[in-house]
Amino acid sequence: MRFLKNVFSQLHTFVLWLLASALFWGWIFTIVTDTSPEKKVTVYCRVPAVQDAALAAALEEDMPEGLRMIKVHSFEYVMFGTDEFDRGDIFIVPASEEADFVKDLLPVEGDQPTKAYDAAAGEGVATDYIQYGNEDYYMYLGSGSVHLEDGAALAVARELLAMG
Amino acid sequence: MNGTVIELYSDADLARMKKHIKRWRTALLALAAAALAVCVGLAAAAGTLNAQRMELATIAVSTVAGWVVLYGILFVVTPVRRELAHAEMLRTEERERVEGAVALTDERFTIRKSVAVRRVEVRADEETVHRLLVCASRAQALAGAETRALYTCHGYVAAYEVTA
Repeated sequence: MRFLKNVFSQLHTFVLWLLASALFWGWIFTIVTDTSPEKKVTVYCRVPAVQDAALAAALEEDMPEGLRMIKVHSFEYVMFGTDEFDRGDIFIVPASEEADFVKDLLPVEGDQPTKAYDAAAGEGVATDYIQYGNEDYYMYLGSGSVHLEDGAALAVARELLAMG
Repeated sequence: MNGTVIELYSDADLARMKKHIKRWRTALLALAAAALAVCVGLAAAAGTLNAQRMELATIAVSTVAGWVVLYGILFVVTPVRRELAHAEMLRTEERERVEGAVALTDERFTIRKSVAVRRVEVRADEETVHRLLVCASRAQALAGAETRALYTCHGYVAAYEVTA
């Protein structure tokens, strides 16, 4: 009883500590689990659901040289920073929204977009990790990617396509 | 009336309080250091696949350990540290002698950033009543007393006289 009375008398201090702890370690983990665009390839998926950590871990198994990590994000993540989107390396977008993005995106190879998911056949890349909607999806490279010249973006895109 | 002077806080009491503070400070410091080491270990062990779990675990460890340390500081160490400061003041500063009929009242309150006290009234004669304070944890020493000589320091009871 006395314990509870004590806790409630300083409840604001305990709540403040919880918030400070979450903010501090959240910041530390952002530093530990992220790196500069030059040392990572980022894949953005405009899909209903994606197992981001599992897909990133699978792609990291055969990571191009010079990279420290591969990040996979849903598009909701982009809302937290437009810079992130501009510097994205690989994009998987639905056919219905392709026109919204295609001016900023580059085909993976050749001039034609690369199909990432065929809705009619129900087949696509990394379907163990990505849940697609009921339409076709296409894969692009980001025009602002820093990994166009070193080929890392293309290498990871090919790795993704091989996960079909 | 001259008798034996009994200090409210003996040397042994002061030594006991100092030991209590030192022991708890060491224990809380050890807990904080251990929790920090665990959190750093968890952050270092974070990979792509387990980053979210590790972050949650780190926040949980840091929060719970912080709560324990905060509780210890606020409700175990600080009250004793304040009582020790109060006791050292009573033992070292100048005193006055007051004699009369001692009555321990039910009035009690906590002095901000200091100790909990109870009111003591000492009736010297028909017209003179000394209104004093005594540390609540030591107040029982004055309970049931009749006529007695008290030694006071800044209005606090520091010692009392008993006749053999």
